[in-house]
Amino acid sequence: MQTLFDALSLGSLYALGALGIALIFGVMRLVNFAHGDVISFSVFALLWPSTDAVALVFAGDLPWFLLIPFVLLMGAGLSVLCELIIFRRFRGANPATMMIASFALGFVIRYFLLMLFSSRPKSISLLPALSQPVEILGARIPLLQVITIVATIAILFALTAFLKRTRFGLEMRAAAENFTMARMLGVRANRVIMGAFALSGALAAAIGLILASQTGTADIQMGGAVMLMAFIATVIGGLGSLPGAVLAGFLLGAASVVMQTLLPIDARPFRDAFVYGAVILVLIFRPQGLIAAPGTKERV
Amino acid sequence: MSLLALSNITIRYGRLTAVRNVAFNLIEGEILFITGPNGAGKSSLLRAIAGVTPPSSGRIDFGGQDITGRTPEDIARMGVSMVPEGREVFGSLTIQENLMVGTGMHAREGNWRSRAAAELEAVYETFPILKERRHSQAGLLSGGQQQMLVIGRALMTNPRLIAIDEPSLGLAPNITDQVYERLIALRRHRALTLLIVEQSSTRAQMVGGRMILMRGGEVLLDGDARAMGQSEAMQAAYFGYGDH
Amino acid sequence: MTDPNKPASVARRTISTPLILTAILIALALIALASGSRPFNQTVIDIFLRVILVVGLYIFIGNSGVMSFGHIGFTCLGGYAAAWLTMPPMMKQTLLPGLPNWLMQLQLPYWAGALIAALWAALWAAVFGKILLRLSGIAASIATFAMLAMINTIYSNWESVTAATSSVVGIPIVRTIWPYLIAAILSVFIAWAHAISRAGLALRAARDEPTAAAASGVDITKERLIAFVISGAVMGMGGALFAHSIGVVTPDTFYLTLTFTSLSMLVVGGIGSLSGAVLGVVILSSLIQALRWLEAGVTVGSTTFGIPNGLQEITLGIVMIVILAFRPSGIMANSELIWPRARPEKPDEMSGTTPTQQGVTK
Repeated sequence: MQTLFDALSLGSLYALGALGIALIFGVMRLVNFAHGDVISFSVFALLWPSTDAVALVFAGDLPWFLLIPFVLLMGAGLSVLCELIIFRRFRGANPATMMIASFALGFVIRYFLLMLFSSRPKSISLLPALSQPVEILGARIPLLQVITIVATIAILFALTAFLKRTRFGLEMRAAAENFTMARMLGVRANRVIMGAFALSGALAAAIGLILASQTGTADIQMGGAVMLMAFIATVIGGLGSLPGAVLAGFLLGAASVVMQTLLPIDARPFRDAFVYGAVILVLIFRPQGLIAAPGTKERV
Repeated sequence: MSLLALSNITIRYGRLTAVRNVAFNLIEGEILFITGPNGAGKSSLLRAIAGVTPPSSGRIDFGGQDITGRTPEDIARMGVSMVPEGREVFGSLTIQENLMVGTGMHAREGNWRSRAAAELEAVYETFPILKERRHSQAGLLSGGQQQMLVIGRALMTNPRLIAIDEPSLGLAPNITDQVYERLIALRRHRALTLLIVEQSSTRAQMVGGRMILMRGGEVLLDGDARAMGQSEAMQAAYFGYGDH
Repeated sequence: MTDPNKPASVARRTISTPLILTAILIALALIALASGSRPFNQTVIDIFLRVILVVGLYIFIGNSGVMSFGHIGFTCLGGYAAAWLTMPPMMKQTLLPGLPNWLMQLQLPYWAGALIAALWAALWAAVFGKILLRLSGIAASIATFAMLAMINTIYSNWESVTAATSSVVGIPIVRTIWPYLIAAILSVFIAWAHAISRAGLALRAARDEPTAAAASGVDITKERLIAFVISGAVMGMGGALFAHSIGVVTPDTFYLTLTFTSLSMLVVGGIGSLSGAVLGVVILSSLIQALRWLEAGVTVGSTTFGIPNGLQEITLGIVMIVILAFRPSGIMANSELIWPRARPEKPDEMSGTTPTQQGVTK
């Protein structure tokens, strides 16, 4: 039971991260390496600049119903800003160039945070009420884990509804599948891309919020690890396929947790090596990803 | 008055010139076939009109406005609807969603929802098969049905000009007949202007209308499709390339 | 009219590129020598090391067009191999007790160690390449990344032979500049020889026109594997020398930061160009160095001007973005530095693509 919840909550993080990367990849074929730094940024947005180990809280004391929108807005805002200032200039550049540009941008954000806050992780307590355990079917599960899972599911439903039921969502799905064709039908490229960045940034902020409440620290490196796994999930899910990204995110989370319990003690430190090995196997058998994105499918 | 006017259009990709000094006018309500062998520059020309690959030099006017170098979405919003080669349906979207994508451009106008709904009914009336399968994924349709879908999708934007790249590509002849039958009927009902690219000139001669014959990026002939049919220049243009 | 594909004539026409690059590298070495400053000497050694790594990346990425995030894994293999082969047995006994006895007793000179490290990395490149290179595009990139992460995880946890995440110290330090210079020049010539070889030409043909190349019988997987192994060897050699330049290795020395800085140098220089690989290193390294000096503070008269910590990285990031915004294909794009007199009629013989082929989408 505990294992199941561990798997689900870790998977939730990866799934949300993978979604954020897949959304942007879908509309502009950009593998956004700055995503992880947007995650860190949204958490640090809660703090006043300082180099002390204990965080000087800025917006972190807000009640939850203001705190959450504030963080989401910071993530979305930074993400949109990146698009406006940087990525707009790279339309149509080859993917490697865009990738390196996004990496350079992430670098800039990271060191900007470092300058303001130093590299030491800071302890913060966000929403402390959530660390109490609750009892579910006889197992004691941290409330936060439950909320993480529930929130992820809620986000997934909301996003699905947005994509399926609204005009903007329809335009976005069309653009993700065939950008040029969508433009030839009057879909405004810049608006769709900006929307994707805003959503992706908000998702990054959601991850930041969850991570910060889970670990009780704000760390400049915190986004990086999630981003790498999310990035892998995006690819094995089928680049550009949103359901694929979510599925693969949960699978990766599950694989990590399950291997942790199943591997013999001696091999446990090497768990990640096995996870990555599994990733290679999946890629070899399904190079298009688990759910091939329609844009890459061969035409009938 | 001419709806579409191309003057001195040249399109280069690197050192390769795909289209050289092409000029023509298209009158409102006219039907124009652009034909010619593979590599004649027909598709490049269409992509330039749609704003996907702007011409290296020359000028394109639509409805009296210079549209050279405008973005594809701007050009679409002015009333040019493109049906590109290979159909390009949004395979993961349902048929109805495919049809609705282009209606967003009118969202600023007050009654767009009811207008879009009416438009949708009209398209379903023209292509009943689309209505029947409106909630299934477009990627699952047959080639002929996809062709109907993309034509329907182009109609949904309520355009003044529809440009179609090789509507007969990959379709069985009787399906092509059906597609053309609908196109001609539509043109009659809605006073549409049609620009159709085909590799072979046989279709143009069957349907009638004006035809431009291209080869090697240049316009060889421009005139009435049926009259052109038997001319020697026509035979020469295709000579050695094999007629399809 | 000679056959343009005859290797000898291609070699004669393109030899100016490696020669010019060699001249640039030698010039750097001479400046370091003339300055006589120890820190500057170390800086130039760092530049040479990066040249080796980035040229190693170019051999695979530049020619195949497949982005690899995994090559620093081979550098890791090379670095640790150098540690195993050249450390004094005493040190190994305490730090790496799990090494097999024959390896424990061995202590080779650094150059022999580097050579074996290159072969060791090449061996693993062959193994991984055999598995991974049937993939292409972004799937291949991710698979190479997974490979890097695997290597990193194993080296970070295999306590008895890698000392896990602790530093392996006691690797003999080589301070003179020459071995690094020679290795850098060697990698440039290896890259050049591969680029004009039949395998290199076929690989670039496959990169630019995959369908046509496959139709004319190019075995893409095989040609990629050849490039992968050669570049793996160069990366391994770079890793070994890296270890000798600082005397310490940790798994995280050879992980994401090094991966991205080397890739950035390649992309900024021009991904499909050997000259770009070298120039990317020289330009970005000089920039980093200049910023470091500024960070340390520049004394003018009695006042010291300095930039705050962190600004170095920020400036570097911004400069990279600006360069890429103005030159999306990198500083050299797809062309090579050539001796003006020797300019061949077919312009980009080494980089393969003519602009015409690139522009046409169908």
